[in-house]
Amino acid sequence: MRTGAFHILWLVLAAWALPLPASAQLPAGVEPTDTARLLPAVRVEATRPERFAVGSRLQVQDSAALAQYRGQTLAEALGAQTAIYLKNYGPGQLASMTMRGTSARHTAVLWNGLNINLPTLGEADFALLPTTGATQVTVQHGPAGATYGTGAMGGTVLLASPVRWGAGLQASAQLDYGSYSLWAPSVEGSFSNQQVAVRVAGSARTARNDFPYNSPELQGMVSRRQQNADFTQWSLSNDITLRTGQRGEVMMAAWLTDTDRAIQPAIGAGNNHARERDQSRRILTGYRHIAARQESVVRVAWFEDILNYQATGISSKSRVRTAQLQGQHTITIAPRASIQVGAEVQHFGAVVDGYARPVEENRFSAFTLVRYDPHSRLHLTANLRQAVLPGRKSPLAPTLGTEWQAGVWTHQQLTVKASASRSYRAPTLNERYWRPGGNPNLLPEQGFGYEGGLQHTWQLAPRLRVQSEVTVYRQVIDNWVQWLPAADGGYYAPRNLRTVRVWGQEASTQLTWKTTQYRLQAQAAYAYTRSEKVRGYADDVDPTYRQLPYVPQHTVVLTTSQNWRAWQLGTTTTFTGFRYTDSGSQEFLPSYFLLNTSLGYTLRAQQNWSLTLLAQGYNLTNTHYRSYAAQAMPPHNGQLSLRVAWR
Amino acid sequence: MFTPPRFPAFLIRTALALTSLAALTACDPENDTPDPTRLADVFILNEGSYNKANAGISTFNSTNRQMLDVNRFQTANNRPLGDVAQSMTVVGSRGYIVVNNSNKLEVVSMPDLKQVATITGLLLPRYFVAATADKGYVTEWVDYGVAGRVAVIDLKTNTILQTIPTGTMPEAMLLVGSKLYVANNGENTLTIINTLTDAVESTVTVGDSPTSLVQDRAGRVWVLNSGLVVYNPDYTIDYEHTTAGSLVDFAPQNPMVQNRRLFASNQARPQKLMIDFSGITLYYSNGTAVFRMNTTDAALPATPIIRRRFYGLGLDPRDNTVYGTPENFSGPTKFIRYQSTGTPIDSFAVGIGANSFVFYR
Repeated sequence: MRTGAFHILWLVLAAWALPLPASAQLPAGVEPTDTARLLPAVRVEATRPERFAVGSRLQVQDSAALAQYRGQTLAEALGAQTAIYLKNYGPGQLASMTMRGTSARHTAVLWNGLNINLPTLGEADFALLPTTGATQVTVQHGPAGATYGTGAMGGTVLLASPVRWGAGLQASAQLDYGSYSLWAPSVEGSFSNQQVAVRVAGSARTARNDFPYNSPELQGMVSRRQQNADFTQWSLSNDITLRTGQRGEVMMAAWLTDTDRAIQPAIGAGNNHARERDQSRRILTGYRHIAARQESVVRVAWFEDILNYQATGISSKSRVRTAQLQGQHTITIAPRASIQVGAEVQHFGAVVDGYARPVEENRFSAFTLVRYDPHSRLHLTANLRQAVLPGRKSPLAPTLGTEWQAGVWTHQQLTVKASASRSYRAPTLNERYWRPGGNPNLLPEQGFGYEGGLQHTWQLAPRLRVQSEVTVYRQVIDNWVQWLPAADGGYYAPRNLRTVRVWGQEASTQLTWKTTQYRLQAQAAYAYTRSEKVRGYADDVDPTYRQLPYVPQHTVVLTTSQNWRAWQLGTTTTFTGFRYTDSGSQEFLPSYFLLNTSLGYTLRAQQNWSLTLLAQGYNLTNTHYRSYAAQAMPPHNGQLSLRVAWR
Repeated sequence: MFTPPRFPAFLIRTALALTSLAALTACDPENDTPDPTRLADVFILNEGSYNKANAGISTFNSTNRQMLDVNRFQTANNRPLGDVAQSMTVVGSRGYIVVNNSNKLEVVSMPDLKQVATITGLLLPRYFVAATADKGYVTEWVDYGVAGRVAVIDLKTNTILQTIPTGTMPEAMLLVGSKLYVANNGENTLTIINTLTDAVESTVTVGDSPTSLVQDRAGRVWVLNSGLVVYNPDYTIDYEHTTAGSLVDFAPQNPMVQNRRLFASNQARPQKLMIDFSGITLYYSNGTAVFRMNTTDAALPATPIIRRRFYGLGLDPRDNTVYGTPENFSGPTKFIRYQSTGTPIDSFAVGIGANSFVFYR
């Protein structure tokens, strides 16, 4: 079954591919109507990092898609818009991502090209990242160590705020009010002409979160109110880009986040009044020089991440300061070929109670990315990264990717994609320095993965378009770090113990229909994910060939978004399959459906002003579900938003 | 004029293939149906992971060597046991399960584990002992680094009658006549409580970090002390100041006059003192091994009977079978059974973090 099902996936892919030529209606060579684009008048546009990520699956959430999650965090936005499973301990609580069957440490989160995973834990908590921090969120599925560095094994989340030059002044303010004493004000303002672009966004959010839940007790099901789950958070971000002459560009960005939250106790557990304070300060400055055939970028960043935890009888403080320097140079060596070389230096300074002493660590990496388009329909990339970690060299991480527009017809276009990648994850600071147990001799985890997929665009009617994509993948991760009881007892220590194999498929299709008064966008996505430990060591008592905990085999998401005149209606339905909660596949959380909808009305006045009223309903079917074992989730609840926008 | 598009076969085929693949694998797994024909005589307490409320009790039939139900409490009561099951004690036809991080004592009927009562309002409770059919005692840590206490429980009404102050981190208890000996694990003392008056009678120094107590056939009380662990500023163990464990015995009428056997090394923490049905052979674990000694032995044994580290250790008083569980909080624990000489017999998978065994009848 293990490899058998993988073969079935290939058959599914074959079912897609084989009959296609028969459905071609016109000979190749006719350009589809939608590919004609207006090029910017004079400027040479900056190279985007995705340019070198050919052959892999990308999902982009633009500012319009993120707008409906304004005042919320990426945990809500990505949880509703993608088929990725976010393990969530409750509303506002820790939300970590599992992409393609890997753990939270295997998703790299990059802000303006720089890794912002917490260096101590090596992962990101998406409940700490409000959506106002970026205007574009790109999810790159699958390993891409050469392109994005450490941790890019299950996937990468890229946060950016691309500049729209000459857009003028825009401003908006919004206030959200929701169930369980939720209040969330936010403001956003931006200005750009042809010389300067500025964006400022601020948001805050607070909730008492005392939602009702059912607790199984002696008397039967007892309805209780959630205790110790309140939170208050705010975020402030600022992006400035300045053009210096025709070829230069100075950029500055800052993002401050602060979350003070109570830690929701498990159902049936005592309340130990735990609280966590997470503060991150991120500032970045960079310079980009663009010439006709060359582009240089230098970026310097400084981050400070604070995580202070306090509960009855326990207190743990941690502060990590990260300084990063990144430089890259891109040369267009031929009309259809470009090469980017670059290097990156990271310095960590950590003052963590658990380390007992201040810890410093430096990491380096150098990379070469090549993009070559031998034919207008064939794109190739070959990337290479070498990281140097303290005490040891990490494996050389190459990535090869290709995209081939295999068929272009009047109304249809088919692209074949494939990529293979070696990826790595540097041991986290906790894994190396935690006392007791921290193991400075840990090897970096390394993975080898490959994937193949098809992308199909179909213009069914002048205003009706369907875009579909299917990808199958497989990856083997070696030296997977696992914390096990130490030989002399009393504590746990991390060791390179496991080989984990992940494989599965991702399929999605999106339909867009536009008329003058009406617009419909519907999206369906399905992910099938298998993740198993295939080899361990005698000390590791967990069995092999069992689906890893908290990796659902099936996730489905269906979203619709409709606009008619001033009205907008959106729905999100997600299905999350059962997930085992232990390594022996003994206990599991049942599968669940969630339905959320939103209804909005926009009133326009005096050309530039608009007022939007939005009502959102969550968990409309009142499902009792768990994202994490024994952590209560709220029943049906709602939120009202009022937005005033200028321009 | 808009003509509805005809969906080509490949799309339908894909949909069909995916749907059938999904239908084959999307159903939630079914729970194992327990075997109702046999009665359990061994109960394995699965502590569960902290703050995951997945504690449970597995049931085992030792005659037929058969696992009956991995989570019997859930099956019997259609609810989970709670968060961090610390210990279970059987008194007559009742079982008392101390659920540490749920701050409660669950009372169940034996051997079916059907719920009888839940006693709430305890603070970090640890162990239970019954003095009579009407009265029981539960040690409570209350909080970290503060004086603990013992709650007196009315076993008829299942309510807390009063609390008695003890030293820090009171752990296991031993009842001898009308004296209740409470091991103050955070100190080096036993609190002795008179169960007729429920007043503290005296406090006796026994050795650093007492963990467990038994009474032998001659009536003497044996106390196993783990030794005090001292940490360096960087959280590594300071073996200069860490003390070795000790095994102490005394006559109940004269607890100040003690025989003391000091462990040779301060590198391991002896714990889980048990005594066999004859009341003359002691068993305990020390680091990565299990040892056995006679109550008449002058010195501590040098050679273990089992070379393995166990998180939970049990001794079947009917035939001296040793039960041990390696530590595992990420998945099912297995318990291994050994003959009293240390020869392994068999092993079975139970729940998460199995920490102790109750032998019934």
